[in-house]
Amino acid sequence: MLIEFILNHKPVAVEAPADITLLTLLRDYLNLTGAKEGCSVGECGACSVIMDGRLVNSCLVLAPQAGGSEIITIEGVRGPDGGPNDMQENFITYGAVQCGICIPGMVVAGEALLLHNPHPTRAEIRTALAGNLCRCTGYQQIVDAIEATARGRTVDL
Amino acid sequence: MTDHQYIGKPARRVDALEKVLGTAKYVADRKLPGMLHAHCLRSDAPHAAIKRLDVTPALAVPGVRGVITSDDYFEHGLYGFPVKDKYMLAYQKVRYVGEAIAAVAADTPEAALAGVQAIICELEPLPGLFDPEHSLDPGAPQVGPDRPDDKHPNFLDKLIVRKGDPLAVWEQCPVKLEEHYSVGPQEHAYIEPEGVLAVPTREGGVVVYAPNQSPFVNHGNLALVLDLPHNLVRVIQPPVGGSFGGKDDVIYESSAQAAKLALVTGRPVRMVFSREESLIASYKRDPMHMRIWLGADADGALRACKFDGLMDSGAYASESSFTAWRASIHAMGAYRYAACDVDITAVYTNNGYYGAFRGFGNTEVCSAIEQAIDEMAYKVGMDPLDFRLKNCLRVGDETAHGQTLTESVGLTDCLNTVRRLSDWDRKRAEYATRNPQPAMPGTAGHTVRRGIGVAALYHGTSLGAEGHDYAGATVAVEQNNSVDITSGLTDYGTGSRTVYTLVAAEELGVRPERIHMQRPDTDTAVESGPTVASRSTMLGGNAMRIAAMNLRQTLDYAAADLLGCELHQLIRHGEDYVGPAEEPVSWDKVADHARAMGLALSAQGKWSAPRINWDHHAGRGTPYMAYHFAAQVAEVEVDMGTGNVQVVGFWAAHDPGKVIFPQGAYGQLYGGIAQGLGYALMEQMTFANGYVQETNFESYLIPTSVDVPEIVGTFVEAPFSHGPYGAKNIAEPSMVPTAPAILNAICHATGRRVRDLPANLERVRLGKDLTKGGSAKACKLGLKVG
Repeated sequence: MLIEFILNHKPVAVEAPADITLLTLLRDYLNLTGAKEGCSVGECGACSVIMDGRLVNSCLVLAPQAGGSEIITIEGVRGPDGGPNDMQENFITYGAVQCGICIPGMVVAGEALLLHNPHPTRAEIRTALAGNLCRCTGYQQIVDAIEATARGRTVDL
Repeated sequence: MTDHQYIGKPARRVDALEKVLGTAKYVADRKLPGMLHAHCLRSDAPHAAIKRLDVTPALAVPGVRGVITSDDYFEHGLYGFPVKDKYMLAYQKVRYVGEAIAAVAADTPEAALAGVQAIICELEPLPGLFDPEHSLDPGAPQVGPDRPDDKHPNFLDKLIVRKGDPLAVWEQCPVKLEEHYSVGPQEHAYIEPEGVLAVPTREGGVVVYAPNQSPFVNHGNLALVLDLPHNLVRVIQPPVGGSFGGKDDVIYESSAQAAKLALVTGRPVRMVFSREESLIASYKRDPMHMRIWLGADADGALRACKFDGLMDSGAYASESSFTAWRASIHAMGAYRYAACDVDITAVYTNNGYYGAFRGFGNTEVCSAIEQAIDEMAYKVGMDPLDFRLKNCLRVGDETAHGQTLTESVGLTDCLNTVRRLSDWDRKRAEYATRNPQPAMPGTAGHTVRRGIGVAALYHGTSLGAEGHDYAGATVAVEQNNSVDITSGLTDYGTGSRTVYTLVAAEELGVRPERIHMQRPDTDTAVESGPTVASRSTMLGGNAMRIAAMNLRQTLDYAAADLLGCELHQLIRHGEDYVGPAEEPVSWDKVADHARAMGLALSAQGKWSAPRINWDHHAGRGTPYMAYHFAAQVAEVEVDMGTGNVQVVGFWAAHDPGKVIFPQGAYGQLYGGIAQGLGYALMEQMTFANGYVQETNFESYLIPTSVDVPEIVGTFVEAPFSHGPYGAKNIAEPSMVPTAPAILNAICHATGRRVRDLPANLERVRLGKDLTKGGSAKACKLGLKVG
């Protein structure tokens, strides 16, 4: 079936089977491999994307459900020059990246949080990340990076 | 103190940008035109004879392009080090649920799965062996290989340490402890499941993209089982999505399976595991049963330690002999004893199989000995931190193995540091008053109690007497005057690529941005032994330092020639060279001049660790050239009604020697503590008659961001003279003392010991397990996921 939606601020129309997940649609039909398949049961969050302003596990969303929605993947998280945005810069600066497999999901989860809560406490950041597993970092530097981003965006306003 | 330009200073991780942008290509993100998808037929029996294996029906399935079995390998694909007991695909027998029997390559993953289901495989069940305590019984089913000697075939190895007669000393001690402890299996739970991409070459060889830790070990295995000359096999490591010791054997097997299928079909072949397949088929941290005797004088001086450990190696040896050795060396903890015996015995069973995992034996034994030490402190009536300070190793002390420590022993500093940072003395006294008596099982109300606990650690650096300890590195100036470096040791998330970049930058006097570290590749890097045992910074760092120093000398000659001066007159100003005339010349000009002089702008470095000796029969010697020391303090809240434990505070002071890449070192520290927290409280893996019960993250729970507290970490840098700039290690030791620190805090809160890990709700609340029957169901379903 034809699935049409807004992907990273641009309209797309893609012919795909109706029984695949949004994650498969992104990875295998749109060649966007930033979202990762870590568990396929919605536990690890490595496949996180933002769908109509909400953080979702794309492995739990059927591809046709994406029709008519607006989706942001890690490939759509960029600064004005097309390079890393402030969140991504902070992930680097604060040492939040190790193996990196969870990081696209973590960055997306951080962006989703700041959409709704521009001034989160560290505890609120931790709660927002509770659906995104990281086995390398112990989360601390990821929390540091998101906290610094929120602070930076507040100062900029 | 030497002032460094890049060592120990804030730095950007060299591979972070592609990872935050989502553009880093992990193996599952890589595809080629015409690429086939591979899937394995795996055993659904814990122990069985393969009576019939007919793959021809699979070849008739539409889309299937190739099927292989053990018959397609040299010597049926037998491999393994130090014990050769496993096959790339099962031969004649299967010994655990999930063992690969055949592999299918097809146009689509669905066709590959259909091919697997079409294979005719008749397994004749054999009696299973699930209790390691009975592995060596005369009538036990044989799981291990036939042996040339008269030892039981299920006996893998026994490792010992011997000092005096500890039981005789123990009998004389006024304060005695004799206690049992156990730890269960732990899953690595890297968020990237296993995968491999193999591409056949025109000359009949194969290029394998494999997220393994040690590409050269994979390379050697592949050449062996594929019966190919080494120059026709190439292994390249793509970004690795976590490993922690876990992506060795299992990836070597996937590599051999995908590579053979690529050779048979002439097409690229990719094999990617589902999470279920990963949890069922891969090796875990070994479970251990431990019995400890400790004896002390009335004043709290430790005198005797006897430690008996039984390690389950599962169906295959994997690294268990080495794990058991490291366990034996560290079993008594970082303390002085008049007499000490350690016996660690490793045996075969049909409970999956066990191999390397961060800490490698020390994580297991430290959980036990650091609880036992705590219990002794209670018995002699001393504060647990004071008790450790009284007995711990210092410079000049002799270890239980007979090694005199001459330098780089930061343990007392670590203990004093966590005491201060955690406000130990106040909290210890305050919580003790608040928790006056042990809670009786079944009677406690819904109150929350606080407790605080400590654990200490030492952890030998690098391989030690496990093997020849060396590494190599290369450095070269490219035509555009960028600097290209390679190492035979790999970065699977640890940060070693950045460490090597900073070392090369420091020695060459160039900006790190000028340096580019290639992906590990057996065609271009220098073989450096396996990337294990937290050895990358020390071994690889020394090799890189030497390589860069060698190249620096060449450039210095060119600079002196260009500036018309002597070598000793050169000074550096940023990247620039300055001579007596005080006019700077750029590094690029110097490099260009070196080329014009006909000098080679590349160099190699090799470094071997100082020779050490271990006498396996006497249980005496010098096991490691140096040790990492640390102390960790955990503060917990225990819900006395539910048994729920929340870690609310955590302090860690570690002595990794000189820290080269601080953000990376802190990342290792925090991440290791999170893994140790999971090991202590929630990571439970149950084998029911050989069938694993936890097959995805909804049942195998690892710590989330709300389970891990804010951690206060700090480094006590006691430099080691043979380490690069004084560096030792950090990756493994960061997790080793975490579980016992948490368990000791639980005891402080509740007044009761939980001596079996993990300290789940019922063990904390009831003091015992609630028996879970378990079945083959989930495990068998997991094997069928496509």
